[in-house]
Amino acid sequence: MLGDAERQELRRGIQDAVARQDAVGAVEMTRRLLAASSKPADILFCATALAGIGDALREQLGARRLKTYVVRSVTVEPILPSLTVEAVLANYVLELQVGGYGSYADELLNPDSSLARFKPELVLIILDLEEIAGILPDLCADGIGAAVEKEVEECVERMAQLLRSYRSGSSARILFQGLVVPEFTSLGDVGEANLPHSLTHAVQRLNQRIAALCASISDCVFFDADRLAARHGRARWRDARMFYASRLAVSAEYFRDYSHGLVRTFSTLYRAPRKVLCTDLDNTLWGGVLGEDGPDGIATGSAFPGNCYLAYQKYLTQLSSRGILLAIVSKNNEADVREAFNVRAADLALGMDSFAAHKINWNEKADSIRELAKELSLGLDSFVLVDDSPEECEAIRQQLPGVAVVEAPALEPWNLVEILSEQSFFDAAAVTDDDVHRAAEYKAQARRAELAGSAGSRDEFLASLGIVCSFQSALQAPLSRAVQLLAKTNQFNLTTRRRSAAEVEEFATAPGGQAVVVRVRDRFGDAGVVGLALARRQGESCAIDSLLLSCRAIGRGIETALLAYVGEQALRAGAKRLVGEFIATKKNTPCATFYSDHGFTKFVTSDAASSNSEFYELDLTVSHPTYPKWVTVEGNESYEP
Amino acid sequence: MSLEQVPPSLRELLADIFEISPEQVTAELSMEAVDSWDSFRHLQAILALEGEYGVQFDPQRIPELTSVALLQAELKKKGAAL
Repeated sequence: MLGDAERQELRRGIQDAVARQDAVGAVEMTRRLLAASSKPADILFCATALAGIGDALREQLGARRLKTYVVRSVTVEPILPSLTVEAVLANYVLELQVGGYGSYADELLNPDSSLARFKPELVLIILDLEEIAGILPDLCADGIGAAVEKEVEECVERMAQLLRSYRSGSSARILFQGLVVPEFTSLGDVGEANLPHSLTHAVQRLNQRIAALCASISDCVFFDADRLAARHGRARWRDARMFYASRLAVSAEYFRDYSHGLVRTFSTLYRAPRKVLCTDLDNTLWGGVLGEDGPDGIATGSAFPGNCYLAYQKYLTQLSSRGILLAIVSKNNEADVREAFNVRAADLALGMDSFAAHKINWNEKADSIRELAKELSLGLDSFVLVDDSPEECEAIRQQLPGVAVVEAPALEPWNLVEILSEQSFFDAAAVTDDDVHRAAEYKAQARRAELAGSAGSRDEFLASLGIVCSFQSALQAPLSRAVQLLAKTNQFNLTTRRRSAAEVEEFATAPGGQAVVVRVRDRFGDAGVVGLALARRQGESCAIDSLLLSCRAIGRGIETALLAYVGEQALRAGAKRLVGEFIATKKNTPCATFYSDHGFTKFVTSDAASSNSEFYELDLTVSHPTYPKWVTVEGNESYEP
Repeated sequence: MSLEQVPPSLRELLADIFEISPEQVTAELSMEAVDSWDSFRHLQAILALEGEYGVQFDPQRIPELTSVALLQAELKKKGAAL
């Protein structure tokens, strides 16, 4: 706990930082103050202080501004300071507006409602049981409730109508809060548990159905408030006094946990999860120090404390099965480590081959992680390091600030899994086939690199890969994958526009519009959907709004094939001119010369709104981009102009 | 009611809530005199005071506690160590 003097000092520090518009300092001190203080006054103080530096947060920290509308049937106002503070700590600046208590249906359905007029980027829908299925408690009262199923279905149908209607008129991203299972019902704990149609079972089923509904609507995520309430204790989650007196559904004690849950959930609509977990070995993956204790002396396996490490290993293999790459970063002798994995195979949940890469040497870990980033063609902001050494952790925080660092508790190994699961960096509301196959794809990448070393010319090498590009409408391919690519591709991304699923659909369905994905396979494997292009008709031109390629597919001519395909489709739709656009960012220099490399000419437009854009044009009546000769094309009959 | 001195801790807390300077927080200060002191801010103040001093107000009294002096008196009645 913070002493009062220290607390006052931090508050003054925050005030000074705000006065000089120092966003980095203000956020850093807010984090420290709130990590140690749970005083409501401090939250309110921080909320007020941070409200004054919205622009600085965006400019200095790249915080994302979100116009956010809260559709609600309960009191949320006292929670908003916590929500804005938690949002800032996750690098969002919320511009909040709250709807009326009883008007949620009108707000979502009426195209002229205050919600529609606000034109939000994010909508939080927070409705309670009384509002969306008020008769359910009575229907469940006898636990037999023949009408319960029907009411659950009807309630889901009502929510589906609201969400679909709103979605048809807005591309705002949506968070829908689930219901908290009510405590203290007339059936009592035993009846709730045993009777098939108890309220507990009905609300849980309703939550499952609504979660499935959210998954079927683009850019919509389900927030499981019940899970959060259960973790902290449902009996205390709601303060009955304040609920009945003021319709406040969450106890003031949990405002921050609740706000954190909201922010963590909607973040998945804006951010891609990190892709690589680098783990240390000694006192992290197993107990003890291999170099001192030997392979038989390290702790792992079914007996305590080895079972704590086994639990961590199992957690890693589970992460791996949804596409998160595992890597070893350890200061050790590689031969010793291989021996340990062999000798103790029966006591370990994973083997050396569970790791996509490893750096087992005596180099600085920052260098090892940099090398891994290069080998896997991934940015450092895709990496997580788990290490028990405070010194190693601090070194990475300072030298590679993009890497997320988790300090493993060497003396309390039973806490590691919990500490790791509290982090949001692997959060994903959807998992695609491509995620699942990613580990295999990275291994194929390594074999390609080997072949590249042995083949003669580049063309010869590429021809030997047997690359097949297959083009599809983004609506036919899993739309979630297209949106995922838009959200996370940085290096080969011409405009870096983070289009939503709803916007992708607009491109696909507009006359003369295109939303195309490219799927790639070669003799080493199926890389899945790796590229995307969005284009729209503008008079006689076809303008390419977005064109991007996953970094692991760069350098094989896929980007050229994608451009050729877009050109063909444009010709088919009667376009005379292809217009390309490039917006420079810190990360996308690899594609700065993409259009000029493909015969486009730069031109100047008077359109002042796009001052950051460079425009390029190609007269399609003279020439059009062609496919690289080493690529076989599927999904498109050849086109002869 | 006698107008006592407002203790510094309470003064700072209310200043944070109503976004005014601590000097402005006097015992006489009331809901009508502060623009930002609306019904939601009032609820926020009540919750913050409960959290800070570990007390619970009677919901029926809450709407009546419309000045600093009244809040302070109620806190005392509930045994808060001001």
